Amino acid sequence: MRTAAWLCAVVLLALPLSTGAQERGVTADEVVIGTSMPLSGPAAYWGAVGRGMEAYARYLNDQGGIHGRRLRVVVRDDSYLPPRAAANVRELVERVGVFAIVGLIGTANAFAVRDYIVRNEVVWISPTADATIWYGFRDKKYLFVTYPSYVEEAKILVDYAARQLGAKSIAVFYQNDLYGQKGLLGAKQGAARSRVRITAQVPYEVTQADVSSEAVKLRESRADAVLLYATPRHGALIVREMAKIGYTPKLLSSFTLGDPIMFALAGEAWNGVISTGFFPLPGTGDSRVDEALAILTRVDPALRTNPFNALAGWAFMEPFVEGLRRAGRELTKERFVTAMESIRNWDGQVIRGVTFGPDRRQGTNRVFLTRAEGGRYTRLSDWISYPTGF
Amino acid sequence: MTLLLQYVANGLAAGSLYALVALGIVLLYRCSRVLNFAHGDLATLGVFFAFSGLTRGWPYGLALLGGLAGAAAVSAAFYRLLIKPVRQATALSLVITTLGFALFLSGVMVWVWGTDTKVFPFPLSEVRVFRLGGVVVSELTAGSLAVGLVLVAGLSALVQRTRLGLAMRAVAQNPVAAQLLGVPAGQVLAATWAVAGALGAAAGMLLAPAVLLDPFMMLDPFLKGFAAAVLGGMDSLPGAVAGGLILGLAESVFAGYVSVKYKATLSFVVIVAVLLVRPEGLLGRPFHRRV
Repeated sequence: MRTAAWLCAVVLLALPLSTGAQERGVTADEVVIGTSMPLSGPAAYWGAVGRGMEAYARYLNDQGGIHGRRLRVVVRDDSYLPPRAAANVRELVERVGVFAIVGLIGTANAFAVRDYIVRNEVVWISPTADATIWYGFRDKKYLFVTYPSYVEEAKILVDYAARQLGAKSIAVFYQNDLYGQKGLLGAKQGAARSRVRITAQVPYEVTQADVSSEAVKLRESRADAVLLYATPRHGALIVREMAKIGYTPKLLSSFTLGDPIMFALAGEAWNGVISTGFFPLPGTGDSRVDEALAILTRVDPALRTNPFNALAGWAFMEPFVEGLRRAGRELTKERFVTAMESIRNWDGQVIRGVTFGPDRRQGTNRVFLTRAEGGRYTRLSDWISYPTGF
Repeated sequence: MTLLLQYVANGLAAGSLYALVALGIVLLYRCSRVLNFAHGDLATLGVFFAFSGLTRGWPYGLALLGGLAGAAAVSAAFYRLLIKPVRQATALSLVITTLGFALFLSGVMVWVWGTDTKVFPFPLSEVRVFRLGGVVVSELTAGSLAVGLVLVAGLSALVQRTRLGLAMRAVAQNPVAAQLLGVPAGQVLAATWAVAGALGAAAGMLLAPAVLLDPFMMLDPFLKGFAAAVLGGMDSLPGAVAGGLILGLAESVFAGYVSVKYKATLSFVVIVAVLLVRPEGLLGRPFHRRV
């Protein structure tokens, strides 16, 4: 009898909760988001992004969450393998029941889960993937992109090499997957525009340890400049290897290598590298970014060794959090989309200048140039915009 | 010509490390018929032990020895605690046991040391170079080649000239007969696992300064070492060395003159080709099953 009474009480208590929690991943006091990234394998270094996201969520939760709801980040390891990313996303959506996917590292991985996420109308904020994979792609209602395009970035870098560095020929060292191939594509388009010759296209596999023959290949191309689309580790290795065999071209790299760790990994050889950035880098005079980093490292001291990726985690999550704020306490998918669409020229603490709209899903379309000097990056240019694609 | 020599030099440097990895794999396979997929992770663990010693300010030699000893101890313990109890199981179960241990080890390394890429300090420089004609060889490359050769010579002396080596060969040939003749097979096998672990760690320590240190550093070198072992013959120590050097050379020259894009695929093509044409490997003995 007592058990029955208890059961009744529990059911009665649960009733108002269950009617209020119709949206997947949203309860009265929690919003669940999921992401997939390499926590193991050759690209595991980038997994610190997930840790940055978790630290940012913990910081927000300590302040009471958003509209009384705590953020719970579920991170799944995909070892940087697209099939595992696909399995992870299915699990996050169908079993964990997340409200949104935030981030998701790797252009090839994002490409692998793109159709599933869009078909199932899952909210997806800031996929960490080349933005051009969305060009011409329809049904993007629940998608909001704040990550730059490698294609456009490579064009800007090649342009700079031709005009400012006087390069007549360029060689590209790239990761043999969609990330590197998009960089290569941009380099080719940029070269055609700037009348520069691409004298070598040298790929490597992300699992590869030794890049000495690749360095010799690059030297044989005698290119004036070498453009890098690689992991920090492979970027550092190829630069050291080239320096070793006496080849010292002008160096340019994707913003993925605009990470302070490069000075430790590549040493002297990293000085002079031209790169880009899509959020102000820590220690370059932007107090709000420095403050964000201080918060992250206070919440999770282990992030101290990986400030760049920690901040990237913050940057990917920030637009989502802004959407939650704007959507209000009555959180549904549709209200969230409307809230995201109201974001115009919005500056977050780390990511800046985000604009969405009913017909606009590419939230940012600009990068700035940096130069590596004396163990740090200095900003070389103002924001450089490129046309929005969607 | 200079260009070819440069590719050859790079190939030999990489090949000598493949050879060291292959030696550890072959040594274990010969003695205990276990294909150890945790070999690469054990090696990385040894490097991390040494790295921890160095960051705590230990003298260089002590840290390296500590790393080697640590890898040897973990390898021997793995044999005693996990492999020995399941030795009677099928070859597949043994392989899966080693795979599981590999995953366990990499998890432990991520947990303890994190996933960020680290610079492994080393007395030899990767940037200071010797120039022989137009061929550039770094101090580190020359050093690893030399140390690699010394280790190969040391291992062959151990196996051919010492009582432990004799016992290892006896256990490898016929464990039951060896035991009947008073050879403590269990201890000999544990020692073999320890030697293989230390050998792997040595390869890892030569590799880490060149390719940077992280928990997954040995992923590619292990696969290459495995390919080298298959190429040279799974039960031949000289075969492992020859296989490693040939594979390193072939990769480098292939990348230089055929296709840099498919360089990484070459070692797998080699495995398939060897298994098709000469399954016992270049220097291995053909395997005959007696009824």
